[in-house]
Amino acid sequence: MIDNFKSAFYQNFIQDERWRYIVDGLGNTLKITLFAVVIGIALGFLVAVIRSTYEKTHGLRFLNLLCKIYLTVIRGTPVLIQLLIIYFVVFGSVKIDKVLVAVMAFGINSGAYVAEIFRSGIMSIDNGQFEAGRSLGFNYRQTMMYIIMPQAFKNVLPALCNEFIVLLKETSVAGYIAIQDLTKGADIIRSRTYSAFMPLIAAAIIYLVMVMIFTYFVQKLERRLRSSDH
Amino acid sequence: MTTDRKGEPLIQVQHLGKSFGDLQVLKDINVDIYKGDVVCVIGPSGSGKSTFLRCLNRLEEPTSGKIFFEGVDITSPKTDIDKHRQKMGMVFQQFNLFPHMTIMRNLTIAPMKLQGRSEQEAEAEAKRLLERVGLADREDAYPSQLSGGQKQRIAIVRALCMKPDVMLFDEPTSALDPEMVGEVLNVMRSLAEQKMTMVVVTHEMGFAREVATRVMFMDEGYFMEENEPKEFFENPKNERLKNFLGKVL
Repeated sequence: MIDNFKSAFYQNFIQDERWRYIVDGLGNTLKITLFAVVIGIALGFLVAVIRSTYEKTHGLRFLNLLCKIYLTVIRGTPVLIQLLIIYFVVFGSVKIDKVLVAVMAFGINSGAYVAEIFRSGIMSIDNGQFEAGRSLGFNYRQTMMYIIMPQAFKNVLPALCNEFIVLLKETSVAGYIAIQDLTKGADIIRSRTYSAFMPLIAAAIIYLVMVMIFTYFVQKLERRLRSSDH
Repeated sequence: MTTDRKGEPLIQVQHLGKSFGDLQVLKDINVDIYKGDVVCVIGPSGSGKSTFLRCLNRLEEPTSGKIFFEGVDITSPKTDIDKHRQKMGMVFQQFNLFPHMTIMRNLTIAPMKLQGRSEQEAEAEAKRLLERVGLADREDAYPSQLSGGQKQRIAIVRALCMKPDVMLFDEPTSALDPEMVGEVLNVMRSLAEQKMTMVVVTHEMGFAREVATRVMFMDEGYFMEENEPKEFFENPKNERLKNFLGKVL
């Protein structure tokens, strides 16, 4: 049995340097996830600030409307459709790096979810905190920055972490626009060797380990931020 | 009387009105507050006391009327209210300390960010004031580690660190356990002795009688009666005030 395993392993990963499909794919998966997270946070933060400013002060009415449309459309359609539309429709006639397209699609998608997570965090902070800040003479922006945001961020960290785990795994549909990510890489091996078990299980384990490492660091961060709760 | 009534009033309220939708909470409020005044506002709940106080620093936007603070119309949209709020300390019923900061940071963040004071300067001032309220040893604690009475004393110090010209108190002892009321009132009493101008919305009749220079009775959106404390409590004229005092004393 061990010999069987060895030869299957050799055939799937060593022969013809097939491990490269996995490693290159992992590289693309990480690249897409990392940059999409950055876009998602930036976009989500911006939208959340606009939305909660509107809710608190009734300012930014027009921007708030734009944000609501963005949220409705992005959250109401599958990410795969969004990816395909951005690749085949928006950039259909332009030659563009496919990874860049994926970064944009997943970033824009994640931004909508991050926005609602941030907004719920901001709205969860007692209004007395806001009033205390304003009564000391802080303006709206300073009150947000020094008093509301740090508390909101701490409250939403678990939800934010969850969103990034979802994002990491969602990038596995990038193969639909012929990006060779981790999932696609494993699938290519399967199609060459006609053995599904090894490459797919290997990909699954790699996703799992990445999520576990990420979760570990977020938990450490959460513990540090909790130092003020006793 | 300790009140110095010479010169300009510190705060002038003229025909102040405030509505929430159809509900008119403040109808026609007129009052002048002078430097050194300790004004206690009493009245039944829902009478508009807190709304009045919150209008003074525009935490509530007045619907009508004008408020002058140090000669400036702070209800004018052209006024930079943030600037004037730095000179109006406010203490809330629910303390509203910043839970994610140490006590020292709670006290120094506003003076450092808003008044450009150095960390040493802000901390020295904070320590001096902490000493005065008997909490010098708690500067590294977080608000969640303090009792209600301690939190409220810190909240008073936080406002004082901005060196305000007037202190607004919004029922500062109403959320406290009874045994902690005294320590907060003592801090307020010592502030009054140092001639801090104070506007206090309170249910503490003993404090009003003892410390206030003027007591005002608010009901149905008006100030129904105003007097110096002795007359106010011993010889009330307004029927509603008599009724109210009969219930609470």
